[in-house]
Amino acid sequence: MSGHELHPLVKQLLDGEITRADLPAELRAEGEAALRLLAGVDRTDVSMPAVTWRVMAKLERRRRRFLPWLLAPALAIAAALVIWLVPRTPAPASLVTVRFVLVAPDAKQVSLAGTFNQWDPQATPLVRAGATGVWTATLTLPAGQHQYAFVVDGARWVPDPGAPAIDDGFGRRNSVLTL
Amino acid sequence: MRPGSQATDGDIVRAVLAGDRERYAQLVERYRDRYARYATRMLGSVDAAEDAVQDAFVRAYDQLAQCKEPDKFVGWFFLILRNRCFAERRRNRTSASLEAANDVAAVDRADGGAETAERRRALQLALLELTADQREVFVLKHVEGLSYGEIAERLSTSIPSLKMRMHRAYDKLREQLRDHT
Repeated sequence: MSGHELHPLVKQLLDGEITRADLPAELRAEGEAALRLLAGVDRTDVSMPAVTWRVMAKLERRRRRFLPWLLAPALAIAAALVIWLVPRTPAPASLVTVRFVLVAPDAKQVSLAGTFNQWDPQATPLVRAGATGVWTATLTLPAGQHQYAFVVDGARWVPDPGAPAIDDGFGRRNSVLTL
Repeated sequence: MRPGSQATDGDIVRAVLAGDRERYAQLVERYRDRYARYATRMLGSVDAAEDAVQDAFVRAYDQLAQCKEPDKFVGWFFLILRNRCFAERRRNRTSASLEAANDVAAVDRADGGAETAERRRALQLALLELTADQREVFVLKHVEGLSYGEIAERLSTSIPSLKMRMHRAYDKLREQLRDHT
């Protein structure tokens, strides 16, 4: 055995298969030194609370990107039908159905305030999905740009972690949704 | 699911696959911290670990239909995270070493104890010099506290092969930490 290798019995000691007392006297010092090496193991817990909303926001962002592509052929057919059936009627503004999602396990209530409801925090409550901490609201909005924020427990304004945000000029961040 | 009881992993996986996408947040919430420490010690950086855990959950969502035993979601998820950590280590070995020392040093400033801090820092850096296979066995056994039997089951390998990796790791660590023992 080379001088760089620990004695097999010392390795068994590190594995927890034998105790110090099981080592012959000539290996005790080597055993103690090896155990000091393990004393540096860092078992501190690591918590990643942001991962839940980051994952859900990423999935939601991707869904929003795909949805217009999935709907495009249907919308094209619908638009063609409208033009064909009512050729002289002006086309209505496009409407898009959007689902808003916020993960807020500790919230008692969550609502949505934005340009589409005159920033009224009472107007559009989100519904909690069971005990999951996931709050959702589905709205049909006209195509164009909308600004909004979630209102948690009637007081805390929170931008959507899954959407870009801009400064509202009063020190708060508004999320931006472009349809 | 029985009224009042907590949904099993299988219940949630089946609900997500049936279209209730938001239920996936429950699985993320349930397991993100359980593997946060494993990923952090494997990659030597909390930031890199957070990215890895996030990516693994997104990948697991994408491949959820391939989870053959929904009630064993967590074991299946662990293998996805493990692959992500191994890939990340292959990509980014050097910068991880520097960050590792800083991350550990930051924790130790809060703990106090210069000798402990130095020992932890040295071990953390030495761990990054092991092969990914050796390091993983060390992390699962000495950080996560699993037995060889539990590790063998999780990684679908044999106990003698795990011991061989671990014993080589001990020799390498001893060599690198000669001045700290």
